[in-house]
Amino acid sequence: MKFLPLIWRNAVRNRLRTILTLAGIAFLLFVLIFVMTGLSEIQAWEGVAATHRRVVVQHAEGLTAELGIELENFLKGDVISRHAEHVCKFNWFGGYYQDPKNWPPEFAVDPTAMRALFDELKINDEDFKKFSETKTATLVGIRLMQKYNWKVGQRITLIGTFYNANPELDIVGVFTTKDPRQEEQMFFRWDYLDELLQNRKIVSTYWMKARSDEDIPKLKELIDAHTRNSSTPTETITEKEFANQFMQMMGNIKAIVAGIGALVLLIMIMMTANTMAMAARERVTEVAVMRTLGFTAGQILSVIVAESLLVSLIAAAVAIGGSLLVFNIGGFSPSPIYFPVFLVEPPTVLTALGAAIFCGVASSLVPAVRAARRKISDGLRQVV
Amino acid sequence: MAGPVVRVQNVSKTYYRDETPVPVLEAIDLEVAEGEFVALMGPSGSGKSTLLNLIAGIDRASSGRVEVAGSELSTLSEHALATFRSRHIGFIFQLYNLIPVLTAYENVELPLLLTPLSKSDRGKHVMMALDVVGLADRKDHTPRQLSGGQEQRVAIARAIVTDPTLLLADEPTGDLDKKSEEEVLTLLKRLNTEFKKAIVMVTHDPKAAACAARTVMLEKGTLVGKS
Repeated sequence: MKFLPLIWRNAVRNRLRTILTLAGIAFLLFVLIFVMTGLSEIQAWEGVAATHRRVVVQHAEGLTAELGIELENFLKGDVISRHAEHVCKFNWFGGYYQDPKNWPPEFAVDPTAMRALFDELKINDEDFKKFSETKTATLVGIRLMQKYNWKVGQRITLIGTFYNANPELDIVGVFTTKDPRQEEQMFFRWDYLDELLQNRKIVSTYWMKARSDEDIPKLKELIDAHTRNSSTPTETITEKEFANQFMQMMGNIKAIVAGIGALVLLIMIMMTANTMAMAARERVTEVAVMRTLGFTAGQILSVIVAESLLVSLIAAAVAIGGSLLVFNIGGFSPSPIYFPVFLVEPPTVLTALGAAIFCGVASSLVPAVRAARRKISDGLRQVV
Repeated sequence: MAGPVVRVQNVSKTYYRDETPVPVLEAIDLEVAEGEFVALMGPSGSGKSTLLNLIAGIDRASSGRVEVAGSELSTLSEHALATFRSRHIGFIFQLYNLIPVLTAYENVELPLLLTPLSKSDRGKHVMMALDVVGLADRKDHTPRQLSGGQEQRVAIARAIVTDPTLLLADEPTGDLDKKSEEEVLTLLKRLNTEFKKAIVMVTHDPKAAACAARTVMLEKGTLVGKS
């Protein structure tokens, strides 16, 4: 700690250079945090999905194809009921509210099954009763309510893009849950959507809850075997697999993020190393003087590395603080459609901090070792 | 006379330029007694600064023995040499070599950071050293805000703050005007007479050398005379 004033003064010796280096590192760390947050948001659904025993039945050709309504009878029949309960039609609506930029995740569901199926959602009994009794009712997550400043009792209109329908919905209640992402969702009734679509009985997926983990493979086998030779063959998967297929659609996103992260780190190290090399070169005589005073090579090395580390950590504080301010407090999302919530999570913060520490140490190590190893008499003779 | 604080015996130093040996010092014998003020004179390239560096433990002799304050320097590791310098050597450079980003106070405090002294104890030592050189009132000034003479006096305060066994000065007045030169020489004499500091000073200037009790002449790497 007693060397801190020396380290600090050296770090800010050339203010413009330090500010530019600091800004560069902070910007790159911000990019790293941004990309990692994007990845963690994509993976968040997978994480939530893994904690439930929900099973999804979709068309074997994928989500673009529809399932038949007649499948519901089989799914609610005795054979499947032994292994699953709360069978629920589940259609992603894909409409916007007032402006195409406002695209909350809206789902058309069976009111009777949805509450038990999504039992992590806390819904007031009275609100749920209204949802069950009112065809145009919608239940809205608390964060979504706050986002659009909606009130219970308000009527809102969604403009369909995927379906040719514009449901007018009455907000009858609000739900909360642990995961803020789910609080950005809204549910309305499948039968109302069907009515708007002239009773075409379009079902994109069926969801249900397996009675136990052991029932999941049995359900996959039974349901897919039942539909194998029909006009609508199915693929039965867990909710986690369902979430994962969205990630697959985006390509090998983990590899892309890892690549960007490595590149960011490399540029950070090169940039800081350049600054530290210049700083060390300018101070050859000073280092020799300090060693004449009795500083050991190890102490010189520590002072130079600490200086670089200090700059990197300040940059990390700026980047982390800035991103928390913009995303977590300010609620900014780069794409409200794909990322209704864009929250910087603690592991992302720790990774950014780790990257800054690694950059600080790695970039200064070579100039620091060279400075510490230089002969004192050579250093004293040097004219800078 | 007290026992020698510096004992240089048959010391030679050869540098290598590419593979060509360049002898700088040859068979030097020198003793400096405790509390003695010795001036090292000689033309440029005669090896004065090299000899000073060997005594300071910032360079190593090619052969011979350099013993300072009871330590035979050739036997010490780099780490032990650093500790030796911090305890026994106060070095004054021709170009002052203060750290430009630190204040006068912080520059003087620098060698004390290597000691286990508390912040307040360090403060007392620093103020005492600045008081000796007459710059206590300029403690918050950076080197840029000081004149050359004042910078050199801060450098002297830095050299004496740890109360070293030996003060080594490499042309301490070489870059100063006449008035500052006199101030610095007066200060060095005072450190020798009042504080009983042993001093070895490299100089070109006969007037500066006259402040010393003894002058040693070097020419082409060998001792040629004493006065």
